[in-house]
Amino acid sequence: MIDLLADRLYYLVSFLLLGVGTYMLIANRNVVKKVIGMNVFQTGIFLFFITSAFVTGASPPLLTAPEPYVSPLPHVLILTAIVVGVSLTAVALGLVVRVYEEYGTLNEQAIRQVSHDE
Amino acid sequence: MSDLPPLVVALPLLGSVTVLLAGLVRPRTGWPITVATALAQVVAVGTLATRAFGDEPVRYVVGGFSRPFGIELVVDGLSASMALLVAVVSVGVLAYARTAGPRSNPFYATYLLLVGGLTGMSITGDVFNMYVFLEITGLTAYALVASGDGGRSALAALKYLLVGTVGASLFLLGIGYAYIATGTLNMYDLSNQLAADPAGYTDPLVQAAFGLLVVGLFVKVAVFPVHTWQPTAYAGAPDSVSAFISALVSTVAAYALIRIVFTVFTVDFLAANGLAQTVLVAAAVVSIVVGSLLAVSQTEIKRMLAYSSVSQFGLVLAAIAVANTTALTGAAIHLVGHAIMKGGLFLTSGLIATETGARSIDGYDGLAERLPSGAGAFGVLALAMVGVPPAVGFVGKWYVALGAVEAEAWPLAVVIFASTLLTLAYFARIVERMYFREAPEPAASVESTETGATTAVVTDGNGPTGDHTSGSGPRVSLGMRAAVVGAAVLAIVLGVAAFQYGQLLEPTIERLLS
Amino acid sequence: MTELISLRPVAAVLVSAVAIVPILASRGRPNIRESWTVLAALAKLGIVASMVPGVLGGDTYVTDFGTFVPGVAFVLRADLLGVLFALLASLLWVVTSFYSMGYMRGLDEHNQTRYFAAFAGSVASAIGIAFAGNLLVLFVFYELLTVATYPLVAHDETDEARAAGRKYLTYTFGGGVAVLAGTVLVYWLTSSPAGPGTTAFAAGGIADLATADPLVARVAFVLLITGFGVKAALMPIHSWLPDAMVAPTPVSGLLHAVAVVKSGVFGIARVVLDVFGPDLMTELGVGTILAAVAAFTLVASSVIALRQDNLKRRLAYSTVSQLSYIVLGLAVLHPYSLVGGLLHIPAHAFMKLTLFFCAGAIHVETHTDDISNMAGIGERMPLTMTAFGVAALGMAGIPLVAGFVSKYFLLIGTVEAGGVNVIFTGALLVSGILNIAYFWPIVYTAFFESPGEADPKPLVEAVLGGRFGEADVATDGGSPDDSSDDPSGDREDSHADDHGYAEDHEGQGPVDEAEAAAHIEHDHGHDGHLAWEHRRWTGEESTWLMLGPILFAATGSVVLGIVPDAAVFLRIVRLIVSGVTGVSV
Repeated sequence: MIDLLADRLYYLVSFLLLGVGTYMLIANRNVVKKVIGMNVFQTGIFLFFITSAFVTGASPPLLTAPEPYVSPLPHVLILTAIVVGVSLTAVALGLVVRVYEEYGTLNEQAIRQVSHDE
Repeated sequence: MSDLPPLVVALPLLGSVTVLLAGLVRPRTGWPITVATALAQVVAVGTLATRAFGDEPVRYVVGGFSRPFGIELVVDGLSASMALLVAVVSVGVLAYARTAGPRSNPFYATYLLLVGGLTGMSITGDVFNMYVFLEITGLTAYALVASGDGGRSALAALKYLLVGTVGASLFLLGIGYAYIATGTLNMYDLSNQLAADPAGYTDPLVQAAFGLLVVGLFVKVAVFPVHTWQPTAYAGAPDSVSAFISALVSTVAAYALIRIVFTVFTVDFLAANGLAQTVLVAAAVVSIVVGSLLAVSQTEIKRMLAYSSVSQFGLVLAAIAVANTTALTGAAIHLVGHAIMKGGLFLTSGLIATETGARSIDGYDGLAERLPSGAGAFGVLALAMVGVPPAVGFVGKWYVALGAVEAEAWPLAVVIFASTLLTLAYFARIVERMYFREAPEPAASVESTETGATTAVVTDGNGPTGDHTSGSGPRVSLGMRAAVVGAAVLAIVLGVAAFQYGQLLEPTIERLLS
Repeated sequence: MTELISLRPVAAVLVSAVAIVPILASRGRPNIRESWTVLAALAKLGIVASMVPGVLGGDTYVTDFGTFVPGVAFVLRADLLGVLFALLASLLWVVTSFYSMGYMRGLDEHNQTRYFAAFAGSVASAIGIAFAGNLLVLFVFYELLTVATYPLVAHDETDEARAAGRKYLTYTFGGGVAVLAGTVLVYWLTSSPAGPGTTAFAAGGIADLATADPLVARVAFVLLITGFGVKAALMPIHSWLPDAMVAPTPVSGLLHAVAVVKSGVFGIARVVLDVFGPDLMTELGVGTILAAVAAFTLVASSVIALRQDNLKRRLAYSTVSQLSYIVLGLAVLHPYSLVGGLLHIPAHAFMKLTLFFCAGAIHVETHTDDISNMAGIGERMPLTMTAFGVAALGMAGIPLVAGFVSKYFLLIGTVEAGGVNVIFTGALLVSGILNIAYFWPIVYTAFFESPGEADPKPLVEAVLGGRFGEADVATDGGSPDDSSDDPSGDREDSHADDHGYAEDHEGQGPVDEAEAAAHIEHDHGHDGHLAWEHRRWTGEESTWLMLGPILFAATGSVVLGIVPDAAVFLRIVRLIVSGVTGVSV
């Protein structure tokens, strides 16, 4: 059991991050913190990908090179995904600014009450 | 020309940049450039489509890097239908948005970006590329939803963003699992590798990949219970944006679902994993029933139409779960037909709201006298959606129901048949109000005096709150009426022509199911 | 049996559909609008009639539009059964158009344009049902008929009208769903690796169905019959029909006695004769069950009709009962009973139309809707009540009127079929007696009684549960608002005419009495007795726009009773039955 955990430690951590991110998304009342939670969620996924890139027992394609070998393709994918995440965060924060201007608060419950009365 | 596939994606992107730059130089140039781009897009996609319905899809390797190392664009009959649908609907909504919608150059730029993202999603043959286009679609959709005035649009967009991102991220995670299992991202290659895998389709890694990909797309298609972003987003967006998004975004996401389930995982996966098929069937049944029930309980028209979408996509999901030729043909017909009908309904409700200020069901009393063309179009589209033949809503339902009966999935067949009555439940009362009730007195038609506070906010970005009946808002233009009437006519024409379309799709569906 | 490719079937359907446009366009000019209706009706009758000789000679006119869905073509086929229904519908539409003009103008109704446009659409759909070449096309026009007739049911725009409209939509769309499910099952049952399925009608039944799985075939049969049975008012799915009486009387007449309900029995006829066929039905054993349901409906609705004081409601329950004659005839599956059942389609149509038109004329002229207030009304409306009497005789099955011929065949058929079918003979005879029981009092009271001196009518007036079950003795203690019963209060609704509709089963009560009393004067009667104003037999009791159709329909019933073969309907029916069963009757 322990060595199972030890082997997959990195995966476990990334899923932990997913869980933390989801919790932040749902439970936090401050809208900015929800956005941060979204970021944490996405980070978990990125880490998952990157972890999977590590290939045990392989070496780079040179005549003599020591281990380890990390496949670059997932890294490339994650670069793209990071960019996507950044633009999402940017849009989200822009919307948060506008919500603050319109409703005067960042507390989700207060906003919901105000918008219901509209 | 042989470079058509990437051109079809690049054209709207270029148009978008042009609009944005032109806006810096001269204002009010947005609409002409956008329309020109959209029409060029229709021509380009049309040309591409003429080649795509054959036995072999059109394959294009981007940048000369052949698969599995590079990105491949694959255009078969289904992809071409989606791309053509996107192009045509974008023109139709532009005709409407000229007078009604937000009229700034950044709006048009985002609009074209969305068109590009949707087209890209339709024709890509690489799963990660699909994720990128999915996110492009999402981002631009969030921005468009937020383009209305008032806090409601911003809030709706924010909710859409948060929920949609979770969905797309799950999709990405699913891609990760699939990549780990096979080492490739190309759809064609993935399907080969997954089939050749010694552990087969029951490998937990593969199952997890399927689960994550499908759930991620469920969020984007708005299947119950992950549909919660949809009513808020559709109701909070400006009218032209609601029409555009409701017609296209969920539709192309459903197409992506078909692509993932049948091209990447194939029917054999479903056969090997009974649980997967059960989950799909259960999600379909629940969506159909609960979507309709929730729609009946709504008073705001746009929210009701959003829940109606949940129900209709449940029908498409049922077709995917049944997974035979007839059902998939029905799914394709219903995707196209529903896009036209739902987009038309949103445009009509926008037209009615612009003319009379009515945004909730009570405001539709006696509409047949006040706005006969709007009431007529709404009636025709509503009946088409219920499934009165020979409109396209009926034809799609026939194929899907027949597919369910052929597969002997009796509970599913019963629910599909009952969906007609469920849809009738929420549309009939509006038709009755429009034609068989008297219009309220002009002084009493003030929406904001009603207790339902959420109905009073007019979110088309232009008009003041809905307590006017004439003069102060934007006028109803010819373009708006034309778009609305065109949608209603198209709903019936497509119904008659659906059989030919089904014939065209036959090679594509065969290949999907092999 | 030659199939002729011709445009006439689709032309017959489209004539009135196309006429909707000019009708809507001539909104402000009633005479032009009405002339469009009449023109369309005559054209339609002409086209249908032109096909009759050919069809009698063995030809079938076909218009094929190509495939609609895989394996099913959009085909309109004018064969014997189709021509029977189409000829009936188009002929009676001409008559009803004139009557509508008289009725709507007599009551100064609102929304007449919408009314005439929806009427044109309904008849177009009815002809489409008649000429449908397969189950799917039949379904298409079945749904379109629902959509076209809904505005007519909810015409009044009062709360009752809207409620009746909602009920109508729910029932008929539910029926449509059942028909669709049945159609899909039939298609699936007949499809095989060799080729796609079919739902096309074939005299004697679709061949592939005979080899299909019996359980699924039975389910398909039940679904189809239930779906069509909604419109054919089989019990217990009949309850939309009495509530639909809130519609204007021409609508109640043509649609709910002729077009809509006849399309339901027509659908059942198609299923019995051309989809399943008598042989397969006997094999599956479903004929007797259907006959039992029909027999129950026959008798039960006749009993309910006895108690109705409101004339239109009584006629509605009579319709429910008479439709089951047709279904019974079809279900017994004997050649004679098939002839009887099919002949009853036109026979009942003529008679019931006469009755409804009379009820409408009475309503327009005197605003009297309840039978208890019609004592002596024969003075005021002699021609109308005579026509009513003739039609009532026919309904009861008295010779020389149409109802006798069909009933004769029905009785002989059930007797000859033997076995358990003798029970159905008994049901038919009981129903005949009940028919007399609920029609004769009307005729008697109209001609042989006078207002204020009418005999008591215990069946109608007595309280259920007997004298000791009166309302002021509540066995459960009652509730505070039991005594405050004021039906007359809100019935004096300003603009909407209630078209003789009574919300409660028993009648309009004091309201109707008051309205009738307005027309009954002391000066009209002998020696200061109350009496209706006297009118001579020259047609001065009402406008000829209404009287003409009434007399035409009454004469038609008599003609059909005296020379049914020459009046073409019986000839068509005999040919249909011999084509299906091979036995010539």
